[in-house]
Amino acid sequence: MLDVSHVRKEFGKVRAVKDVSFHVDDGVTFGLIGPNGAGKTTIMRMILGILVPDGGSLTWNGKPVDSSMRRRCGYLPEERGLYGKMRVRDQIAFFGRLHGLVEPEIGKRTDAWIERLGIEQYADRPCSELSKGNQQKVQVASAAVHDPELLILDEPFTGLDPVNAEMLLGVLSELKAKGTSLILSSHQMWQMEELCSRFCIINGGENRVSGSLAELRASWPTRVLRVAPATPAVRAIVDRVPGATFVADNDGKLDYAVPSSTDFAAVLRAIVGTEAITSFEAIEPSLHDIYIHEAGRAVA
Amino acid sequence: MNTTLNDFVVVYSTEIARRIKSRPFQIGLILGLVGIFVFSELPGWVQHAAGASQKTIVLAGAPALTAPAKKLLAQDDFVVAATVEQSTAPTSAGLDRYHAASWLQVAQGPRGLKLTVYTKDPANVPSDRVKTDLIPLSLELASSMSQARIQSLLDAPITIKSVAAKFGSAAQATAAHGVASALLFFLYLLILINSQLVMSAVAEEKTSRIAELLVASVSPIPLLYGKIAAAATLGLMQMVIWVAEAAYLGSHAATTVTAAASGHASSGLGSLTGSVTTLEIVCFVLFFFLGFLQLATLFAGVGSLINRTEDLGSISLPLIVPVMAGFVISIAALDAPDVSWVVATSFVPLLAPFVMFARIAVSDVPLWQIGTSLIINAVALWGIAWMAGKLYRVGMLLYGRAPSLGQIWQVLRS
Repeated sequence: MLDVSHVRKEFGKVRAVKDVSFHVDDGVTFGLIGPNGAGKTTIMRMILGILVPDGGSLTWNGKPVDSSMRRRCGYLPEERGLYGKMRVRDQIAFFGRLHGLVEPEIGKRTDAWIERLGIEQYADRPCSELSKGNQQKVQVASAAVHDPELLILDEPFTGLDPVNAEMLLGVLSELKAKGTSLILSSHQMWQMEELCSRFCIINGGENRVSGSLAELRASWPTRVLRVAPATPAVRAIVDRVPGATFVADNDGKLDYAVPSSTDFAAVLRAIVGTEAITSFEAIEPSLHDIYIHEAGRAVA
Repeated sequence: MNTTLNDFVVVYSTEIARRIKSRPFQIGLILGLVGIFVFSELPGWVQHAAGASQKTIVLAGAPALTAPAKKLLAQDDFVVAATVEQSTAPTSAGLDRYHAASWLQVAQGPRGLKLTVYTKDPANVPSDRVKTDLIPLSLELASSMSQARIQSLLDAPITIKSVAAKFGSAAQATAAHGVASALLFFLYLLILINSQLVMSAVAEEKTSRIAELLVASVSPIPLLYGKIAAAATLGLMQMVIWVAEAAYLGSHAATTVTAAASGHASSGLGSLTGSVTTLEIVCFVLFFFLGFLQLATLFAGVGSLINRTEDLGSISLPLIVPVMAGFVISIAALDAPDVSWVVATSFVPLLAPFVMFARIAVSDVPLWQIGTSLIINAVALWGIAWMAGKLYRVGMLLYGRAPSLGQIWQVLRS
């Protein structure tokens, strides 16, 4: 288990990370979310042992994180880079060797990754000759060839077309099924929702919220009540709900923001008693909504 | 194998494989081989080409004078295209007819021989040599001595003996200067080229953004030193290949020029063989490694700070200055190895690899001075490595604006 506790990091006068805490259980896929400049990359570098925190602690299975963490981790940084003149196969094998793999294991795993990612026809070509998407695949293979205990991926879907993004989702799901802990950072919230079971939203170098999506939703103060038909009678009933605010009329469906503590059953009963209702939904906030709210709150 | 050693070995072996396959290394090696060949053979070619035209002459005058003059000039490789009895000045066409550069008119004057040279290009007349070659004939005309007697008087034996223990003869000392000059040149080229290759490799990794992936996989220190060690190995390999070629060409030239025992034309590397001591070889290798490691480490540290490969030239220039200074001082040291300021600079890091080696090659440097210089430079290397390691660790992850001197100072103090 990775435990990040009140870490902070400063670069001169810039406080990149002020106070961030979260933990990642074994085999969990964890979403580290935040706007640009929130401190995500600095936190990832501290987890990898590349940077030393100025305060707080990072432990992996109870032991402080140090440079030896590199062997157990795989990392796909946001800024991609490869040796342009090196062959695809050699590139993946090189990173395998750096993580302690030896022949014949390196060859087997390199071939397996090349096959899994569908880049067999490029295996003996220099990386510079590959498309951006295929280079991305080589980087994913380089990060994961040694079967890391913890794989950190910073914006892994950037540059991938929908087909390849789907393939990567499949690869990450396989790793998850094998028990690999994953830390993901992405601005594609629907993919994060699909992959991650726990999240931490940070901004300005500080925690905003963290937990499972259910926990995040539970702490969300409002819900969207969507109801139809949009008749004056229905509108009058919902307007009387304490804290309800009209948001929009969507093609004959009324959207209201209501407190999360609202007794939806009581509202439903009141409407059913006066009107022939065609639609009634209490919509939970999406990760996107929560993220936008938390990022905006911090900026404000 | 522990992690750090494994990382070092992986980086080292991968770097060797990458760089051997790289075009700059292959081109550099081939250019070096071609350069040494040209450097070795060029003096001979130039001399041959220039001599062929300058030394082809027409002798004019009375047969009693032209016959002995021809014999004397032939001993100095002059080619007498024709002997004529004409006493008037030749025309330009007259020279062309014999494909000769000069027309030498010999006559008897009141003080011996009277010589007049007609030529199209007065700047290229070897007049002093003609005059010297014909001294015996002039003396014969001015005195009653026979030519044999004159020759024997002119051939007075001369013996040069060195008072220093380093060289037993003038020939040995001359050869040592030649060898030292050639080896210093190799040292300069190898240190400079390979250090800049290390810097380019570091800058390439940073600008191609693979640096972050690398430092996430391996500690910066084995990464940095794996690269430098690979460059040192390849530099040594280059050196062995180049020196072997130079030695071969030198020995070949020495064999063919041995005949020119008169000390005349010698190939550029003709003196390379036969005058290198074991101490010089050991010191050459030691000072190559010290100089290379000092500069390459410094280059790598500074190279990690740049964001664009275009900045390589401007950032490397200030670092090259001490190397150039060391090379220039070492050339001066070949002539004055024991002058106090030369001795002092033979201990200074970055300069010492050149200056101390030059002193060792041409004089008897006390062993304590060699040892002290090695120790000072090894300690300096440790300091440079510590400093470069700090810069590299931070610089490889630093993007955006180039850091200010204040920020660099902060990094070094951290």
